[in-house]
This record gives sequence, C-alpha cells and structure tokens, in this order.
Amino acid sequence: MASRCRNGIIVSLLLCVVVLAGCAKRPAMTAASAPAPTGAAQATTPPAPATPAPEPPAATPPAPTPAAPTAAPASRPPVQEFAANPNLKDIHFDFDKYDIRPGDAKILDGNATWLKGNDVLVLIEGHCDERGTNEYNLALGERRAKATMNYLVGQGVQAGRITIISYGEERPVCTEHTEACWARNRRAHFLSKPR
Amino acid sequence: MRRLLGAVIAGLCALALVLPSTAPPPSRAQGVDVYINITGGGTKKLNIAIPNFAVTVGSDTTGVAPLLASVAGADLTFTGLFSVVAATGSIPADHPEALRKSWTDFAAAGAHAGVHGLLALRGPRLEAEMRLYDLTTPDFRLIASKRFEMAADQPRRLAHKVADEIVRQFTGEPGIADTKLAYVAGSRGVKEIQVADYDGAAARPLTRNGSLNLMPMWSPDTRSLAFTSYKAGYPDLYRAFPFERRPDQTLAAFVGINSSPAFSPDGRSIALTLSKDGNPEIYVLTLATGAFRRLTRHPGIDTEPSWSPTGRDIAFVSDRAGGTPHLFVMDTEGGNVRQLTFGGFHTQPRWSPKGDTIVYTTRQATHDLWAINPDGSNARRLTSGPADNQGATWAPNGRHLAFQSSRLGAWQLFSMLSDGSEQTPITRGSGEYTSPSWSPRLP
Repeated sequence: MASRCRNGIIVSLLLCVVVLAGCAKRPAMTAASAPAPTGAAQATTPPAPATPAPEPPAATPPAPTPAAPTAAPASRPPVQEFAANPNLKDIHFDFDKYDIRPGDAKILDGNATWLKGNDVLVLIEGHCDERGTNEYNLALGERRAKATMNYLVGQGVQAGRITIISYGEERPVCTEHTEACWARNRRAHFLSKPR
Repeated sequence: MRRLLGAVIAGLCALALVLPSTAPPPSRAQGVDVYINITGGGTKKLNIAIPNFAVTVGSDTTGVAPLLASVAGADLTFTGLFSVVAATGSIPADHPEALRKSWTDFAAAGAHAGVHGLLALRGPRLEAEMRLYDLTTPDFRLIASKRFEMAADQPRRLAHKVADEIVRQFTGEPGIADTKLAYVAGSRGVKEIQVADYDGAAARPLTRNGSLNLMPMWSPDTRSLAFTSYKAGYPDLYRAFPFERRPDQTLAAFVGINSSPAFSPDGRSIALTLSKDGNPEIYVLTLATGAFRRLTRHPGIDTEPSWSPTGRDIAFVSDRAGGTPHLFVMDTEGGNVRQLTFGGFHTQPRWSPKGDTIVYTTRQATHDLWAINPDGSNARRLTSGPADNQGATWAPNGRHLAFQSSRLGAWQLFSMLSDGSEQTPITRGSGEYTSPSWSPRLP
C-alpha cells in the first residue's frame, strides 16, 4: 500500500510534467526509471573541487582553444577615427526595407559629388528603428549600409574608400515610440576621416 | 490545503488505473474524472514541507540554514509541480521522535512529502544532506537521501542542487534550478552582458567594456558564452569563459556583421551570421580548426540560426520570401530548405531541447511569442500584448522559457511555462534587461 501511494505521487507528477510540457514523448514507463525508495542513504555526490575561480567550479579539463580564426579583417580603419561631416547627409528608409528611395537617391547624389571632390575615407552606419528584433535588425542595418555604399560606388566613388558598419536598432537618434521617431531612426549615417 | 490534498489523493487513485499491478481504487468514476481534469491542464501540485535545515556542525552565523530552505522552496514552487507548505524552525538530527512528530503535523497540514535537511558548516565548505520522506505513508517512508558539498560562499547553489534532486526523485529528470541566465543589461549605446542564477539572483558582470555587447549564447558544456561585441569598434564575435580566469577569444572579426551565434548540440561548432561575402549569410565555424563553412547562398537576409537538438537541422530567419522575415529550416549542409511561417513578420526561432517545438517572435501591433512544430504545423500564440514579448530562450528541461517583456515599462526578463502559462518576472531592477540565454544544467 505504501509503495503504491508513492508510485502514485511519482506518476502523478510525471503526468503533470507531460501535460505542462505539451510533449507526449516521455512514455509513462519513465516512472519505472525514477529512483526507487530504498530507505537507505544513496550515493553521496562527489564534492566539487575547490578552485579560486568564480563559481561554478570547472569540473573538466579546460576546453580546447579554437584555432585562431581565419577572420583577420582585410582592412577596417578604427571606428573612432571617423568624425561627423556636415557635407554628407543622412538618408532614410521605409520600414523593413533597404532599397534607396528616389528622394534619398538625390541626397546620395549630393554626397557622391562631394566625396569625388574631397579625398576622404567614409564610414557608413546602417540603423533601424526599435521594431523587429535585435538580431534581424543588425542584419537589416547591414543591408541599408551596403545598399547605400553600392549606390555611391555606382556614382563613381571608389569602393576602397568606404567602410560600412551596422548598429541595428542599438543607436537610435530618437527614443519615442512613434512613427515620426521610428522614421528618423531608419537611416544611413555618414562619418569621414582624412586619408 | 484540504482541497489540494483531496485532489492529489484522488489523482493518485486515478493513476492507479494506469498502473497494472495496483488494486482498483474505491471509486473508478471519481478517479476517471480527476484524471481528465489533470490532462486538461489542471495544476494539481504536490505539497512539500521544507523546514529549516538543522545545523549539525559549525555555527550558522550568516543564516545559511534558513536560506537553504527558502531558496529550495522557491525553486520547487517555480517548477509549477509543487506547493511548499509553510514551516518555521528545523527538525533536529538523530531525533526519531521529533521527526515523527513533525511529519505527523505536516501531514495533518496537507503535506504529501517532507524534506529533512541537515547542514554542516566546515570552514570554507558547506555540506548539506537532504532526506526526502513520503508523508502519505503511515510510517513516513524515506524516499531518498543525498549529500551535497559546495564552497561556503555559494549557499544558493547548494539549495538549487537540493531542489533539483527533489525534482529528480519525483519526475525522473533533474530540475533546472542549478542553471544560469546570461542576458544584456543597459540600453541605447552601452549594453553589458551579465550572468545571474536562473531566478535572477546573484547577478555579476560578464563584460565591462563600455560598448555594445549583444546576443549572449551559452555553450552546451556551460563553460563559455559566445556573443557579439563592439568593443573593438565593429560587431565582432567573441567567446567568454565566465567561470575561469581566461581572456575572451575572438571567434570572427570579418568585415561586416559577425553575429547571432548558436552552439551546435555537441559544442564543437557555432552557427553564426557573417556578411563578409556581401550580405548576411549563415555559416558554421568549426571550433577545433577555425574553419568557416557557408550554408546559405541567397541575396536577401539570412540570420538567427538555431540548431535542432539532434544537430541535424538548423532553423533560421530569411527575408527571401516576399521581403519580410520568415522562419525556415535547413539541414547542416544548407540543403532541404523548408519554410515554416507564411504571411506576417517572424524572427528569433529557438528550437526546444526536446526537439518538438520551435518558439519564435511574431510582429503584429506588438511583438509576441509563438510556438510552432518543426514541420510547420500547430502555430500557437504564447503571449498576448499589449506590450512587447520577445527573445525567448529555453530552460534545459524544455518546460520553461525566459523572455523579455516591456509590460512593466522598461524591458525586463520574465519566465513562463512552455504553454505560455505562469508568466512571472525574473528581473525587477530599474535598468533594462534583454536577450536572455538560459544555460544548460551546470556540471
């Protein structure tokens, strides 16, 4: 009788688990694999090794260090060397889009003209509004910066002078939750530095 | 209490029906009713008593004994499977009469199980013993007993281990209290990654570089986290070792974005997003060799890989179908691409540890969490505005999710069961907390 009741407790909880997880893959047989009552103390857990490192202690040898990634950037000028340039105007984008709008193309034509007359390096930042999610917006900001770069290259600006960076939704210029504000944040922004 | 006790006992009788070796219950009809009630989503819980741990060695000057009871009790409550019966004081060790009297009292108060905890304080070490009793039996049968050791400065972790063992005794699978949450703290311009206990306690910084640190993701062995950081100016991918004195590794620092890391289930590879070849594509980095293998070849956005627990498939997000982001699944060679969602705006796929569900974020008037079967069937809503709910991460048992919600104003982390019930705040601070990653169980 006692044993039946305890099995009942275990199976009852198992059912709760199955039901709440919405997953029927755990067969009822799992009840049999639950530790049986023994009335005696079971094995003591091995003590974790003492270590000066913060918790939790490492229980296994150090993980192998990955080989140095073949990720050496071809050439990425330090971001902090770029500064604002009033001659290069921001352009803006429709929600979840990265194509250049006709009005913004005219702005880019002006930027291209200035760049062709001034031999500086340029950093194009791609930005998004807060809608959508962070990871996707990082990719979307990349596409906006890239589309902007491609347009300038099409207008005769050397690709080697242009670096792009996406900030996704992480650096808004406006923090209200309104369409007017979101529209300002969906932008490509320009910085420059002397060669 | 009375009602719960009656319900559980009725449930036990109902369960007798499915146990071939047991005698029939007094009333079959009543048992069947309760059984249906349980499968219908009822929350019949097991009442468990956890008095303070009894100190057997040393002097408990910092209140470890009551902390163990309260933290383990909170852990059991969090599971949704237990109700903790209120208790004060402790049951002395080696005192059968006191033990019997305590269990008699707790059983009368409705407890089905009792935890007799013993604590030895040995300088830099804590030793706890957990003895679990079945209070529904006349002789208060001992179900199990187990000892745990922990550094003296980690009493909460000791309590989590006790709670996880209790859960294992009743369900066959350990609990998830001895796990960590990594997440992003801060907003607009400076975001740092922190690591806390699964319940938000004991938060500590992982990064402290004053730049943007995004998208933390635990490795399967819980020893490391991959994340994207702008600490060198550009969004590069790093790996940090929160429990070791070891510098960050640079995993990917290509031109463009290096983002959205996801460890393969065997921990040997990381799927990630790189735009080095012109636009955001998904690659797999083999950690042992540093080699990158490209999986997607499409002019649109491909990002946010999430491995199936078998390691054979990867869910991801692409805008290749009509310009808005949708969920897709491919194999690890980039083939057999299937579209899971149609219409709308869907991102952040996260494959469940059991493999049967993919949770994701859908943008309508607000962002909300949905779940879908990996074959694209049974799309179901888990959260309902009016605020935003997004960025879900699975607990290792597949029963719980953590996510970020703006329902209290600023972004805070919440938890819920995988059916969307029991939504509860994890963080309550004045800051903003986003992008949680729930660790596997600690070793």
